[in-house]
Amino acid sequence: MAVGLVFLATLPFHANPYLLFVGNLAMLYIVLTVGLNLLIGYTGMLAFQNAALFGVGAYGCAVLRVTLGLPYWLSLPAGGLIAMIVGVLVALPALRLTGLYLALATVAFAQFTLWVFLHWYSVTGGPAGIQMHPVDFGVLASTAEYGLYYLTMAIMLAVVALTWNLVRSRIGRAFVAIRESEVAAEALAIDLTRYKTIAYAISALYAGVAGGLFAAMLGIVVPESYDLFQVIAQFAMVVVGGIGSVWGAVIGAVGLIWVQEALRAFKEFQEIAFGGMILLTVLFLRGGAMSLIKRHIKGWDEPLRRIPRKR
Amino acid sequence: MSKLVTRNLSMTFGGLVALDGVDLDVPEGEIRGVIGPNGAGKTTLLNAITGVNQPTDGEVLLDGEVISGLKASRIAARGLARTFQTSQLFAGMTVLENVMTGLHARMGTSPLAAAFGLPSVWREEEDATEKAMSALDFVGMQQFADRDGGELSFGQQRVVEIARALVREPRVLLLDEPAVGLSMTRVSELDALLRRIREERGVTIVMIEHVIRLVMGVCDRITVLSSGRKIAEGTADEVTQNPEVIEAYLGRELDA
Amino acid sequence: MLPFLLTSGITTGALYAMVAIGLVLVYRSTGHINFSHGELFMLGGFFAYTFHVTVGLNYVVAMLLAVIGSFFVGVASDRIVYRPLIKAPGLSMVLATVGFSFLMKGIGRFFWGGKGEYLSIKPIVDPAPLWIAGIPILPQQLIVLAGALACMIMFTIFFRSTLAGKMMQATAENPRAAYLVGIKVEQVYTYTWGAGAAVAGAAAVLMAPLTLLSPDVGFTLLLKAFAATILGGLGSMVGAVVGGFIVGITEALAGGYIATSLQEVSSFIIIMVVLVFRPSGLFGVYGIRRA
Repeated sequence: MAVGLVFLATLPFHANPYLLFVGNLAMLYIVLTVGLNLLIGYTGMLAFQNAALFGVGAYGCAVLRVTLGLPYWLSLPAGGLIAMIVGVLVALPALRLTGLYLALATVAFAQFTLWVFLHWYSVTGGPAGIQMHPVDFGVLASTAEYGLYYLTMAIMLAVVALTWNLVRSRIGRAFVAIRESEVAAEALAIDLTRYKTIAYAISALYAGVAGGLFAAMLGIVVPESYDLFQVIAQFAMVVVGGIGSVWGAVIGAVGLIWVQEALRAFKEFQEIAFGGMILLTVLFLRGGAMSLIKRHIKGWDEPLRRIPRKR
Repeated sequence: MSKLVTRNLSMTFGGLVALDGVDLDVPEGEIRGVIGPNGAGKTTLLNAITGVNQPTDGEVLLDGEVISGLKASRIAARGLARTFQTSQLFAGMTVLENVMTGLHARMGTSPLAAAFGLPSVWREEEDATEKAMSALDFVGMQQFADRDGGELSFGQQRVVEIARALVREPRVLLLDEPAVGLSMTRVSELDALLRRIREERGVTIVMIEHVIRLVMGVCDRITVLSSGRKIAEGTADEVTQNPEVIEAYLGRELDA
Repeated sequence: MLPFLLTSGITTGALYAMVAIGLVLVYRSTGHINFSHGELFMLGGFFAYTFHVTVGLNYVVAMLLAVIGSFFVGVASDRIVYRPLIKAPGLSMVLATVGFSFLMKGIGRFFWGGKGEYLSIKPIVDPAPLWIAGIPILPQQLIVLAGALACMIMFTIFFRSTLAGKMMQATAENPRAAYLVGIKVEQVYTYTWGAGAAVAGAAAVLMAPLTLLSPDVGFTLLLKAFAATILGGLGSMVGAVVGGFIVGITEALAGGYIATSLQEVSSFIIIMVVLVFRPSGLFGVYGIRRA
């Protein structure tokens, strides 16, 4: 892991701009999938809103920065918060019902959001989207690319660390309890709606912040970046990496971003690859890559508690 | 002193009467058995008490306070613990983590504190680990602490489920057929465990059970349900001599 | 304008109802929502295109072949996705059907996409509207309506009167009991998936001459079918049909009187409104099944 960190930290010094871009993208997808995994992997809720909220964060950040002139360091977290609020407001009615309703409501919401991006010209600029000028990192970084790379890296590391802490507490155990059996979780005084909302809000916040980073990376926010294919890509990363594992999400994001980039010009092959990988993993290796690691690396353990047990 | 009381507890599912005005009065420290033929409404009774299903009529009181109408998680937080007919041990967690999940309501870590790993969280986790281990010790399962819940045998799962309920220091423990599928030795162990729970922890127990040996041996009083109604109540001897009970069992299948 | 909007609303509503029927059929017997159901519709349309336009077969023959083709894709869904996961948690099943839907979408795009992404089937009847009581009606609309009604009637007869239909009903209500009385439950599931897919295919074939086919059409149709299904109360056949018509008419009216672009989102609005105010659907008979 230390090697990986050093590699990441020094990537801007030995990689070409494209590689840097892909590295940046991979870290951004780690933020997205770690959040999504909290929702579907840990809490066992299936929701399709992550791409839409990714978009809400991107648009929120871009609108605040371009239209209202807020600085990036303010518009980025604000975009994240907007995504979180929008997401929770939409999901709240469905979170009280069974899982199937959440899935249906969020599928519809994803499509609705895309429609808003396309049609709310005065705010989103319609199909042409919003242009964003490069972020000026001042003395912190020589170019916007470097600055953004290290900002993404810092956020990614923070997200992984915070989430890793979170799942090893009573909160993480409540999430998993809900996934395993809602009735049993309630019998242990776990408030289903409360914890589902928490998981949902965290994943929405992560998606929104990732959206703000993505907007700055591309310099433009356009609707088609946030369509349903985006959800499938993230599902595939979570599932192939290892559902219900923080590190699985990391592995999945880093691994599959290369697949996506390799097939960038061929939408049909991206669909076949991601759809097929989800299907094959669910059918034949339900724990994803992480289950292989658990099986073959002795002593690898992903506990849901902090304190190592004394014998 | 009455610990758990139900008054006129009724439940209908789309015209089908599953519980018909059941009155229950379980004094503190008692082990109460609830028996009855299949379909008598035993599990429905448990679900109505614990708020899994909201009763259509009547009320449930715990220590004199009305708890019916609350959400299941709130009722649980009031000090009602239960186990399930089919084991609901979380297969994707270790045994220790399962029992620690039982401590959920007795811990106060907030999501933010947890994410930042504050010292208070460490202290609370340490405390929870200790309590969970001692609960596992109490039921004799401490050597399985690091196994996944799904790896245990059926009987072991049931015992860990009891530990997970006990760690919550409940006021009343409701058990739904804890002995089903257990070997004779295991049933004797369970019998001893239930007595220890009452003696050492002072927990009042309400138990649905088919294994008649366990019910007759350990329960102070037995309530008999049939077709959603209470048809008899009393000590083991009283109940077995009650003609209505004999009729209910002989008229249906003999499964107790 | 109202009569015109109503006729077009009823026509699309009939198609939504057909797609929703397949969704409900599978949901009732398996307890799962098939997220790849829309892609069955898409493939059905492309099959018809291939047989009718590329191969040049007669429309009716092409239509039958397309429906049969859809049936087999449905059977494949059962074999590839449903049966191996029958004991897996519900989440795995949804993920698998979502993955399968994109797999099919990619395949659809590979074979039929690319040509501007859209394909059209020439109208097989005179495209000039008939004027019936002062209302302009496209002949193809009549064909769609007649076809949809025929499908629904056939389904009703199938369930009420045939042994296979009764077996499906029995399996949906209580699979264990069905198994105990000697029904080959697995076979019934296979036919259920096949039948659901076939209706979706039939809907696509009927619709194809009215509109353009694209690899992305499946998802749009799936959303409409969701809206219809939720409106009718998840799990109710009659509800799904009524829901389908309501969605179609609402869409046409919203599109005509408020803004054209509203057509695309009315299904979202319907889904949310129903979820907030009446999650058990308009008829509220079928309760909320614990997922």
